[in-house]
Amino acid sequence: MSYLVDPANWEWLGAGNNLRFILTGFLINIEIALLAMLLSLVFGLVLALMRISKRRAVSAPASLWIEVWRNLPLIFIILYLALAIPESWRDAYESSVPAWFPDAFQTPFFLAAVMGLTLYNSAVIAEIMRAGIVSLERGQGEAAAALGLPYWKSMRLIILPQGLRRMVPATVSQLITLNKDTTLVSIIGIQEVMRQARIVTNTSGSPFTGSGVDAPLLQVFLTVGLMFVLVNLLLSRLSTRLEIRERRKTGTEVEKVTGLEDQVAAEAQTR
Amino acid sequence: MLADNFPQFRDGFLVTLGLVAVSFAIAVVVGTLIAALRVQPIRALRWIGTVYVEFFRNIPLLVLLFIAFAGLRRAGVNIGPFAAGTGSLGLYTAAYVAEAIRSGVFAVGQGQIEASLSMGFTYPQTLRKIVLPQAIRTVIPPLGNLTIAMIKNSAIIGVALGLAQDLLKEARIINSNTFQTNEVFFWAAVGYLIMTVSATLTVRRLEQRLVIRR
Repeated sequence: MSYLVDPANWEWLGAGNNLRFILTGFLINIEIALLAMLLSLVFGLVLALMRISKRRAVSAPASLWIEVWRNLPLIFIILYLALAIPESWRDAYESSVPAWFPDAFQTPFFLAAVMGLTLYNSAVIAEIMRAGIVSLERGQGEAAAALGLPYWKSMRLIILPQGLRRMVPATVSQLITLNKDTTLVSIIGIQEVMRQARIVTNTSGSPFTGSGVDAPLLQVFLTVGLMFVLVNLLLSRLSTRLEIRERRKTGTEVEKVTGLEDQVAAEAQTR
Repeated sequence: MLADNFPQFRDGFLVTLGLVAVSFAIAVVVGTLIAALRVQPIRALRWIGTVYVEFFRNIPLLVLLFIAFAGLRRAGVNIGPFAAGTGSLGLYTAAYVAEAIRSGVFAVGQGQIEASLSMGFTYPQTLRKIVLPQAIRTVIPPLGNLTIAMIKNSAIIGVALGLAQDLLKEARIINSNTFQTNEVFFWAAVGYLIMTVSATLTVRRLEQRLVIRR
Protein backbone atom coordinates (compact mmCIF):
# COMPACT_ATOMS: atom_id res chain seq x y z
CA MET A 1 0.00 0.00 0.00
CA SER A 2 2.80 2.39 0.90
CA TYR A 3 4.48 1.43 -2.39
CA LEU A 4 1.32 2.42 -4.22
CA VAL A 5 0.95 5.89 -2.73
CA ASP A 6 4.65 6.71 -2.25
CA PRO A 7 5.10 10.11 -3.96
CA ALA A 8 8.51 9.01 -5.31
CA ASN A 9 6.70 6.39 -7.38
CA TRP A 10 4.44 9.02 -8.92
CA GLU A 11 7.11 11.55 -9.79
CA TRP A 12 7.28 10.27 -13.41
CA LEU A 13 3.78 11.62 -14.04
CA GLY A 14 4.98 15.20 -14.07
CA ALA A 15 8.43 14.46 -15.50
CA GLY A 16 9.37 15.11 -19.13
CA ASN A 17 6.84 14.15 -21.78
CA ASN A 18 5.65 10.99 -20.01
CA LEU A 19 1.99 11.90 -19.55
CA ARG A 20 1.70 13.45 -23.00
CA PHE A 21 3.27 10.37 -24.55
CA ILE A 22 0.70 8.10 -22.87
CA LEU A 23 -2.17 10.40 -23.79
CA THR A 24 -1.26 10.37 -27.49
CA GLY A 25 -1.42 6.56 -27.29
CA PHE A 26 -4.79 6.73 -25.56
CA LEU A 27 -6.09 8.99 -28.33
CA ILE A 28 -5.21 6.25 -30.85
CA ASN A 29 -7.37 3.82 -28.84
CA ILE A 30 -10.27 6.24 -28.95
CA GLU A 31 -9.86 6.64 -32.71
CA ILE A 32 -9.73 2.88 -33.26
CA ALA A 33 -12.81 2.51 -31.06
CA LEU A 34 -14.73 5.14 -33.04
CA LEU A 35 -13.86 3.52 -36.37
CA ALA A 36 -14.73 0.02 -35.17
CA MET A 37 -17.96 1.27 -33.55
CA LEU A 38 -19.12 2.86 -36.77
CA LEU A 39 -18.39 -0.27 -38.80
CA SER A 40 -19.93 -2.57 -36.17
CA LEU A 41 -23.15 -0.56 -36.02
CA VAL A 42 -23.54 -0.62 -39.82
CA PHE A 43 -22.72 -4.32 -40.25
CA GLY A 44 -24.64 -5.17 -37.07
CA LEU A 45 -27.82 -3.65 -38.48
CA VAL A 46 -27.38 -5.48 -41.80
CA LEU A 47 -26.83 -8.81 -39.99
CA ALA A 48 -29.82 -8.23 -37.70
CA LEU A 49 -32.10 -7.51 -40.67
CA MET A 50 -30.81 -10.61 -42.43
CA ARG A 51 -31.40 -12.78 -39.39
CA ILE A 52 -35.05 -11.70 -38.98
CA SER A 53 -35.73 -12.24 -42.67
CA LYS A 54 -38.53 -14.70 -43.47
CA ARG A 55 -36.43 -16.27 -46.22
CA ARG A 56 -34.46 -19.14 -44.72
CA ALA A 57 -31.77 -18.82 -47.38
CA VAL A 58 -31.02 -15.39 -45.90
CA SER A 59 -31.65 -15.95 -42.20
CA ALA A 60 -29.87 -19.30 -41.76
CA PRO A 61 -26.42 -18.19 -42.96
CA ALA A 62 -26.77 -14.93 -40.99
CA SER A 63 -27.60 -16.89 -37.81
CA LEU A 64 -24.61 -19.18 -38.25
CA TRP A 65 -22.30 -16.24 -38.98
CA ILE A 66 -23.46 -14.34 -35.88
CA GLU A 67 -23.28 -17.35 -33.54
CA VAL A 68 -19.77 -18.32 -34.64
CA TRP A 69 -18.21 -14.86 -34.34
CA ARG A 70 -19.81 -13.84 -31.09
CA ASN A 71 -18.91 -17.12 -29.38
CA LEU A 72 -15.17 -16.92 -30.12
CA PRO A 73 -12.71 -14.92 -28.00
CA LEU A 74 -11.96 -11.56 -29.63
CA ILE A 75 -8.22 -11.94 -29.08
CA PHE A 76 -8.40 -15.30 -30.85
CA ILE A 77 -10.03 -13.64 -33.89
CA ILE A 78 -7.48 -10.81 -33.97
CA LEU A 79 -4.48 -13.14 -33.71
CA TYR A 80 -5.91 -15.44 -36.36
CA LEU A 81 -6.50 -12.57 -38.80
CA ALA A 82 -3.01 -11.19 -38.19
CA LEU A 83 -1.61 -14.58 -39.23
CA ALA A 84 -4.09 -15.42 -41.96
CA ILE A 85 -4.74 -12.22 -43.91
CA PRO A 86 -2.87 -12.61 -47.22
CA GLU A 87 0.07 -10.33 -47.82
CA SER A 88 -1.56 -8.92 -50.95
CA TRP A 89 -4.44 -7.57 -48.83
CA ARG A 90 -2.02 -5.97 -46.42
CA ASP A 91 -0.10 -4.35 -49.26
CA ALA A 92 -3.32 -3.15 -50.85
CA TYR A 93 -4.36 -1.63 -47.54
CA GLU A 94 -0.99 0.01 -46.96
CA SER A 95 -0.98 1.63 -50.36
CA SER A 96 -4.58 2.86 -50.20
CA VAL A 97 -4.83 4.18 -46.62
CA PRO A 98 -5.23 7.97 -46.63
CA ALA A 99 -2.05 9.80 -45.62
CA TRP A 100 -3.85 11.96 -43.07
CA PHE A 101 -4.73 8.91 -40.97
CA PRO A 102 -2.60 8.60 -37.78
CA ASP A 103 0.68 6.67 -37.99
CA ALA A 104 -0.71 3.73 -36.05
CA PHE A 105 -3.37 3.31 -38.78
CA GLN A 106 -0.70 3.06 -41.50
CA THR A 107 0.82 -0.23 -40.37
CA PRO A 108 -0.11 -3.39 -42.32
CA PHE A 109 -1.57 -5.21 -39.29
CA PHE A 110 -4.08 -2.44 -38.70
CA LEU A 111 -6.39 -4.16 -41.17
CA ALA A 112 -6.44 -7.32 -39.01
CA ALA A 113 -7.08 -5.22 -35.89
CA VAL A 114 -10.09 -3.38 -37.28
CA MET A 115 -11.48 -6.45 -39.06
CA GLY A 116 -11.26 -8.45 -35.83
CA LEU A 117 -12.95 -5.79 -33.72
CA THR A 118 -15.67 -5.40 -36.35
CA LEU A 119 -16.32 -9.11 -36.93
CA TYR A 120 -16.82 -9.75 -33.22
CA ASN A 121 -18.69 -6.59 -32.27
CA SER A 122 -20.99 -6.49 -35.30
CA ALA A 123 -22.13 -10.02 -34.39
CA VAL A 124 -22.85 -8.99 -30.79
CA ILE A 125 -24.56 -5.74 -31.81
CA ALA A 126 -26.65 -7.63 -34.40
CA GLU A 127 -28.03 -9.78 -31.58
CA ILE A 128 -28.78 -6.70 -29.45
CA MET A 129 -30.59 -5.02 -32.36
CA ARG A 130 -32.49 -8.18 -33.24
CA ALA A 131 -33.63 -8.52 -29.62
CA GLY A 132 -34.88 -4.93 -29.77
CA ILE A 133 -36.81 -5.51 -32.96
CA VAL A 134 -38.27 -8.84 -31.82
CA SER A 135 -39.35 -7.36 -28.48
CA LEU A 136 -41.79 -5.02 -30.25
CA GLU A 137 -45.39 -6.17 -30.17
CA ARG A 138 -46.33 -7.99 -33.36
CA GLY A 139 -49.31 -5.66 -33.73
CA GLN A 140 -46.99 -2.86 -34.78
CA GLY A 141 -45.86 -4.67 -37.90
CA GLU A 142 -49.35 -6.01 -38.60
CA ALA A 143 -50.89 -2.54 -38.30
CA ALA A 144 -48.29 -1.14 -40.68
CA ALA A 145 -49.04 -3.93 -43.16
CA ALA A 146 -52.80 -3.34 -42.78
CA LEU A 147 -52.26 0.31 -43.63
CA GLY A 148 -50.62 -0.83 -46.85
CA LEU A 149 -47.01 -0.06 -45.99
CA PRO A 150 -44.56 -2.30 -47.83
CA TYR A 151 -42.04 -4.33 -45.77
CA TRP A 152 -39.07 -2.00 -46.05
CA LYS A 153 -41.15 1.11 -45.46
CA SER A 154 -42.75 -0.27 -42.31
CA MET A 155 -39.30 -1.42 -41.18
CA ARG A 156 -37.82 2.03 -41.69
CA LEU A 157 -40.71 4.12 -40.37
CA ILE A 158 -42.33 1.94 -37.69
CA ILE A 159 -40.24 -0.99 -36.50
CA LEU A 160 -36.62 0.19 -36.49
CA PRO A 161 -37.13 3.57 -34.78
CA GLN A 162 -38.95 1.91 -31.89
CA GLY A 163 -36.97 -1.31 -31.71
CA LEU A 164 -33.54 0.28 -31.84
CA ARG A 165 -34.45 2.98 -29.34
CA ARG A 166 -35.16 0.28 -26.77
CA MET A 167 -31.69 -1.10 -27.24
CA VAL A 168 -29.72 2.12 -26.75
CA PRO A 169 -28.55 1.22 -23.21
CA ALA A 170 -27.45 -2.28 -24.26
CA THR A 171 -25.67 -0.92 -27.32
CA VAL A 172 -23.81 1.67 -25.26
CA SER A 173 -22.67 -0.98 -22.79
CA GLN A 174 -21.32 -3.00 -25.71
CA LEU A 175 -19.54 0.10 -27.00
CA ILE A 176 -17.88 0.45 -23.58
CA THR A 177 -16.68 -3.14 -23.92
CA LEU A 178 -15.42 -2.35 -27.41
CA ASN A 179 -13.53 0.64 -26.04
CA LYS A 180 -11.78 -1.56 -23.46
CA ASP A 181 -11.06 -4.20 -26.10
CA THR A 182 -9.07 -1.79 -28.27
CA THR A 183 -6.13 -2.48 -25.92
CA LEU A 184 -5.97 -6.01 -27.40
CA VAL A 185 -4.66 -4.72 -30.73
CA SER A 186 -1.38 -3.88 -29.00
CA ILE A 187 -0.68 -7.61 -29.12
CA ILE A 188 -0.37 -7.56 -32.91
CA GLY A 189 1.88 -4.53 -32.78
CA ILE A 190 -0.40 -1.52 -33.20
CA GLN A 191 1.26 1.42 -31.47
CA GLU A 192 -1.41 2.47 -28.97
CA VAL A 193 -1.60 3.22 -25.26
CA MET A 194 -0.38 -0.16 -23.95
CA ARG A 195 2.78 0.08 -26.04
CA GLN A 196 3.34 3.76 -25.29
CA ALA A 197 3.00 3.02 -21.57
CA ARG A 198 5.45 0.15 -21.89
CA ILE A 199 7.95 2.49 -23.50
CA VAL A 200 7.53 4.97 -20.64
CA THR A 201 8.25 2.26 -18.05
CA ASN A 202 11.28 1.03 -19.98
CA THR A 203 12.98 4.29 -20.83
CA SER A 204 12.02 6.86 -18.23
CA GLY A 205 14.77 5.92 -15.79
CA SER A 206 17.45 6.22 -18.45
CA PRO A 207 19.34 9.51 -18.55
CA PHE A 208 19.66 9.28 -22.36
CA THR A 209 16.12 8.61 -23.54
CA GLY A 210 13.79 9.30 -20.66
CA SER A 211 12.95 11.87 -18.08
CA GLY A 212 15.52 10.63 -15.59
CA VAL A 213 12.83 9.59 -13.11
CA ASP A 214 11.91 5.94 -12.73
CA ALA A 215 8.37 5.09 -13.84
CA PRO A 216 7.13 1.94 -12.02
CA LEU A 217 5.00 -0.39 -14.12
CA LEU A 218 2.19 -0.62 -11.57
CA GLN A 219 1.66 3.12 -11.34
CA VAL A 220 1.93 3.67 -15.09
CA PHE A 221 -0.66 1.01 -15.96
CA LEU A 222 -2.93 2.12 -13.15
CA THR A 223 -2.91 5.57 -14.79
CA VAL A 224 -3.78 4.01 -18.15
CA GLY A 225 -6.58 2.02 -16.51
CA LEU A 226 -8.02 5.14 -14.88
CA MET A 227 -8.11 6.88 -18.28
CA PHE A 228 -10.38 4.11 -19.54
CA VAL A 229 -12.50 4.19 -16.39
CA LEU A 230 -13.02 7.94 -16.82
CA VAL A 231 -14.03 7.79 -20.49
CA ASN A 232 -16.27 4.77 -19.96
CA LEU A 233 -18.01 6.38 -17.00
CA LEU A 234 -18.72 9.41 -19.18
CA LEU A 235 -20.12 7.11 -21.88
CA SER A 236 -22.48 5.35 -19.49
CA ARG A 237 -23.54 8.67 -17.96
CA LEU A 238 -24.38 9.86 -21.47
CA SER A 239 -26.46 6.76 -22.08
CA THR A 240 -28.46 7.32 -18.88
CA ARG A 241 -29.08 10.93 -19.93
CA LEU A 242 -30.30 9.83 -23.35
CA GLU A 243 -32.59 7.30 -21.73
CA ILE A 244 -34.19 9.84 -19.42
CA ARG A 245 -34.69 12.30 -22.26
CA GLU A 246 -36.30 9.65 -24.45
CA ARG A 247 -38.62 8.63 -21.66
CA ARG A 248 -39.71 12.21 -21.16
CA LYS A 249 -40.20 12.79 -24.88
CA THR A 250 -42.11 9.63 -25.69
CA GLY A 251 -43.70 9.05 -22.32
CA THR A 252 -42.78 5.38 -22.47
CA GLU A 253 -40.48 3.21 -20.46
CA VAL A 254 -37.25 2.42 -22.26
CA GLU A 255 -36.43 -1.27 -22.01
CA LYS A 256 -33.85 -1.40 -19.25
CA VAL A 257 -31.11 -3.88 -20.01
CA THR A 258 -27.89 -3.89 -18.08
CA GLY A 259 -24.98 -6.23 -18.23
CA LEU A 260 -21.92 -7.37 -20.00
CA GLU A 261 -21.14 -8.13 -23.56
CA ASP A 262 -23.41 -10.85 -24.89
CA GLN A 263 -25.34 -11.03 -21.68
CA VAL A 264 -27.42 -8.07 -22.72
CA ALA A 265 -28.56 -9.64 -25.94
CA ALA A 266 -29.37 -12.96 -24.35
CA GLU A 267 -31.21 -11.30 -21.51
CA ALA A 268 -33.36 -9.19 -23.79
CA GLN A 269 -34.10 -12.25 -25.87
CA THR A 270 -35.59 -14.22 -22.98
CA ARG A 271 -37.88 -11.38 -22.00
CA MET B 1 -3.84 -32.34 -38.06
CA LEU B 2 -6.14 -32.76 -35.08
CA ALA B 3 -5.01 -36.33 -34.51
CA ASP B 4 -1.33 -35.40 -34.72
CA ASN B 5 -1.55 -32.66 -32.15
CA PHE B 6 -4.43 -33.92 -30.07
CA PRO B 7 -2.59 -34.05 -26.71
CA GLN B 8 -1.62 -30.38 -27.02
CA PHE B 9 -5.13 -29.30 -28.02
CA ARG B 10 -6.58 -31.32 -25.13
CA ASP B 11 -4.14 -29.87 -22.60
CA GLY B 12 -4.90 -26.34 -23.77
CA PHE B 13 -8.63 -27.04 -23.56
CA LEU B 14 -8.26 -28.30 -19.98
CA VAL B 15 -6.09 -25.35 -18.92
CA THR B 16 -8.72 -22.94 -20.28
CA LEU B 17 -11.42 -24.83 -18.33
CA GLY B 18 -9.26 -24.65 -15.20
CA LEU B 19 -8.68 -20.91 -15.57
CA VAL B 20 -12.41 -20.36 -15.98
CA ALA B 21 -13.35 -22.58 -13.02
CA VAL B 22 -10.98 -20.84 -10.57
CA SER B 23 -11.88 -17.36 -11.84
CA PHE B 24 -15.57 -18.23 -11.57
CA ALA B 25 -15.17 -19.23 -7.91
CA ILE B 26 -13.34 -15.96 -7.14
CA ALA B 27 -15.92 -13.92 -9.07
CA VAL B 28 -18.90 -15.45 -7.24
CA VAL B 29 -17.39 -15.08 -3.75
CA VAL B 30 -16.10 -11.52 -4.24
CA GLY B 31 -19.17 -10.52 -6.26
CA THR B 32 -21.51 -11.64 -3.49
CA LEU B 33 -19.50 -9.68 -0.91
CA ILE B 34 -19.57 -6.54 -3.05
CA ALA B 35 -23.30 -6.94 -3.67
CA ALA B 36 -23.80 -7.20 0.10
CA LEU B 37 -21.75 -4.01 0.58
CA ARG B 38 -23.90 -2.17 -1.93
CA VAL B 39 -27.13 -2.73 0.01
CA GLN B 40 -25.72 -1.77 3.43
CA PRO B 41 -27.38 1.12 5.28
CA ILE B 42 -23.97 2.66 6.08
CA ARG B 43 -23.04 5.07 3.33
CA ALA B 44 -19.25 4.52 3.48
CA LEU B 45 -19.68 0.78 2.88
CA ARG B 46 -22.04 1.40 -0.04
CA TRP B 47 -19.48 3.80 -1.47
CA ILE B 48 -16.73 1.17 -1.34
CA GLY B 49 -19.00 -1.22 -3.24
CA THR B 50 -19.81 1.37 -5.89
CA VAL B 51 -16.17 2.33 -6.40
CA TYR B 52 -15.22 -1.35 -6.76
CA VAL B 53 -17.90 -2.00 -9.37
CA GLU B 54 -17.19 1.11 -11.44
CA PHE B 55 -13.42 0.57 -11.35
CA PHE B 56 -13.34 -3.10 -12.30
CA ARG B 57 -16.14 -2.83 -14.84
CA ASN B 58 -14.57 -0.02 -16.81
CA ILE B 59 -10.90 -0.99 -16.81
CA PRO B 60 -9.60 -3.14 -19.70
CA LEU B 61 -8.79 -6.69 -18.58
CA LEU B 62 -5.42 -6.49 -20.31
CA VAL B 63 -4.43 -3.47 -18.18
CA LEU B 64 -5.53 -5.35 -15.07
CA LEU B 65 -3.38 -8.35 -16.05
CA PHE B 66 -0.34 -6.12 -16.56
CA ILE B 67 -0.84 -4.55 -13.13
CA ALA B 68 -1.45 -7.89 -11.41
CA PHE B 69 1.55 -9.69 -12.90
CA ALA B 70 4.36 -7.45 -14.14
CA GLY B 71 3.31 -4.51 -11.95
CA LEU B 72 3.19 -6.46 -8.70
CA ARG B 73 6.38 -8.37 -9.51
CA ARG B 74 8.23 -5.12 -10.14
CA ALA B 75 6.88 -3.94 -6.80
CA GLY B 76 8.43 -6.97 -5.10
CA VAL B 77 5.33 -9.17 -4.73
CA ASN B 78 6.19 -12.68 -5.89
CA ILE B 79 2.97 -13.61 -7.68
CA GLY B 80 2.71 -16.49 -10.16
CA PRO B 81 1.08 -16.22 -13.59
CA PHE B 82 -1.81 -18.54 -12.72
CA ALA B 83 -2.68 -16.57 -9.57
CA ALA B 84 -2.31 -13.23 -11.36
CA GLY B 85 -4.43 -14.42 -14.30
CA THR B 86 -7.29 -16.01 -12.39
CA GLY B 87 -7.19 -13.24 -9.79
CA SER B 88 -7.54 -10.52 -12.45
CA LEU B 89 -10.27 -12.31 -14.39
CA GLY B 90 -12.07 -13.18 -11.14
CA LEU B 91 -11.99 -9.65 -9.71
CA TYR B 92 -12.96 -8.18 -13.09
CA THR B 93 -15.99 -10.45 -13.45
CA ALA B 94 -16.91 -10.00 -9.77
CA ALA B 95 -18.01 -6.44 -10.57
CA TYR B 96 -20.56 -7.79 -13.05
CA VAL B 97 -21.60 -10.59 -10.69
CA ALA B 98 -22.24 -8.02 -7.96
CA GLU B 99 -24.52 -6.06 -10.27
CA ALA B 100 -26.39 -9.20 -11.32
CA ILE B 101 -26.97 -10.29 -7.70
CA ARG B 102 -28.02 -6.83 -6.63
CA SER B 103 -30.63 -6.51 -9.36
CA GLY B 104 -31.80 -10.06 -8.61
CA VAL B 105 -32.38 -9.27 -4.94
CA PHE B 106 -34.08 -5.98 -5.79
CA ALA B 107 -36.35 -7.78 -8.26
CA VAL B 108 -38.10 -9.43 -5.31
CA GLY B 109 -40.78 -6.96 -4.31
CA GLN B 110 -40.49 -5.06 -1.05
CA GLY B 111 -44.14 -5.99 -0.40
CA GLN B 112 -43.26 -9.68 -0.24
CA ILE B 113 -40.61 -9.03 2.39
CA GLU B 114 -43.06 -6.97 4.46
CA ALA B 115 -45.75 -9.60 4.06
CA SER B 116 -43.37 -12.33 5.15
CA LEU B 117 -42.21 -10.36 8.20
CA SER B 118 -45.77 -9.57 9.22
CA MET B 119 -46.61 -13.27 9.02
CA GLY B 120 -44.05 -13.89 11.73
CA PHE B 121 -41.03 -15.01 9.71
CA THR B 122 -37.77 -13.72 11.14
CA TYR B 123 -35.53 -11.65 8.83
CA PRO B 124 -33.04 -14.51 8.14
CA GLN B 125 -35.98 -16.83 7.46
CA THR B 126 -37.45 -14.31 5.07
CA LEU B 127 -34.16 -14.09 3.21
CA ARG B 128 -33.75 -17.85 3.03
CA LYS B 129 -37.30 -18.89 2.24
CA ILE B 130 -38.78 -15.96 0.33
CA VAL B 131 -36.10 -13.74 -1.18
CA LEU B 132 -33.26 -16.09 -2.16
CA PRO B 133 -35.30 -18.77 -4.00
CA GLN B 134 -36.71 -16.04 -6.22
CA ALA B 135 -33.47 -14.09 -6.53
CA ILE B 136 -31.59 -17.19 -7.72
CA ARG B 137 -33.99 -17.53 -10.63
CA THR B 138 -33.22 -14.03 -11.84
CA VAL B 139 -29.49 -14.37 -11.21
CA ILE B 140 -28.91 -17.65 -13.09
CA PRO B 141 -29.20 -16.32 -16.67
CA PRO B 142 -26.76 -13.41 -16.18
CA LEU B 143 -24.35 -15.69 -14.26
CA GLY B 144 -24.42 -18.13 -17.15
CA ASN B 145 -23.73 -15.37 -19.63
CA LEU B 146 -20.87 -14.12 -17.48
CA THR B 147 -19.39 -17.62 -17.57
CA ILE B 148 -19.50 -17.51 -21.37
CA ALA B 149 -17.82 -14.09 -21.33
CA MET B 150 -15.22 -15.57 -18.96
CA ILE B 151 -14.41 -18.44 -21.30
CA LYS B 152 -13.71 -15.88 -24.00
CA ASN B 153 -11.83 -13.48 -21.72
CA SER B 154 -9.62 -16.29 -20.40
CA ALA B 155 -7.87 -16.31 -23.78
CA ILE B 156 -6.39 -12.91 -22.91
CA ILE B 157 -4.58 -14.41 -19.89
CA GLY B 158 -2.41 -16.73 -21.97
CA VAL B 159 -1.56 -13.99 -24.43
CA ALA B 160 -0.78 -11.33 -21.82
CA LEU B 161 1.17 -13.45 -19.35
CA GLY B 162 2.75 -15.86 -21.79
CA LEU B 163 3.07 -18.58 -19.18
CA ALA B 164 -0.44 -19.97 -18.92
CA GLN B 165 -0.69 -22.67 -21.63
CA ASP B 166 -4.35 -22.28 -22.51
CA LEU B 167 -6.08 -23.33 -25.72
CA LEU B 168 -5.13 -20.20 -27.67
CA LYS B 169 -1.50 -20.42 -26.52
CA GLU B 170 -1.29 -24.09 -27.51
CA ALA B 171 -2.81 -23.28 -30.90
CA ARG B 172 -0.15 -20.63 -31.48
CA ILE B 173 2.59 -23.08 -30.52
CA ILE B 174 1.23 -25.77 -32.86
CA ASN B 175 0.93 -23.14 -35.57
CA SER B 176 4.55 -22.06 -35.23
CA ASN B 177 5.58 -25.72 -35.61
CA THR B 178 3.34 -26.63 -38.55
CA PHE B 179 2.48 -23.31 -40.31
CA GLN B 180 -0.99 -24.68 -41.08
CA THR B 181 -2.68 -21.58 -39.71
CA ASN B 182 -6.19 -22.15 -41.05
CA GLU B 183 -6.41 -25.73 -39.85
CA VAL B 184 -4.89 -25.07 -36.42
CA PHE B 185 -7.16 -22.13 -35.72
CA PHE B 186 -10.17 -24.01 -37.07
CA TRP B 187 -9.74 -26.78 -34.49
CA ALA B 188 -9.00 -24.31 -31.70
CA ALA B 189 -12.18 -22.43 -32.68
CA VAL B 190 -14.08 -25.71 -32.45
CA GLY B 191 -12.67 -26.12 -28.94
CA TYR B 192 -13.84 -22.68 -27.86
CA LEU B 193 -17.24 -23.14 -29.50
CA ILE B 194 -17.72 -26.45 -27.67
CA MET B 195 -17.21 -24.60 -24.40
CA THR B 196 -19.30 -21.50 -25.15
CA VAL B 197 -22.17 -23.27 -26.90
CA SER B 198 -22.49 -25.97 -24.26
CA ALA B 199 -22.51 -23.25 -21.58
CA THR B 200 -25.30 -21.48 -23.48
CA LEU B 201 -27.36 -24.67 -23.70
CA THR B 202 -26.84 -25.46 -20.00
CA VAL B 203 -28.04 -22.00 -19.01
CA ARG B 204 -31.08 -22.33 -21.24
CA ARG B 205 -31.96 -25.70 -19.68
CA LEU B 206 -31.49 -24.40 -16.13
CA GLU B 207 -33.71 -21.45 -16.92
CA GLN B 208 -36.48 -23.70 -18.19
CA ARG B 209 -36.26 -25.91 -15.13
CA LEU B 210 -36.29 -22.99 -12.71
CA VAL B 211 -39.06 -21.04 -14.38
CA ILE B 212 -41.88 -20.26 -11.98
CA ARG B 213 -45.01 -22.07 -13.08
CA ARG B 214 -48.24 -20.34 -12.18
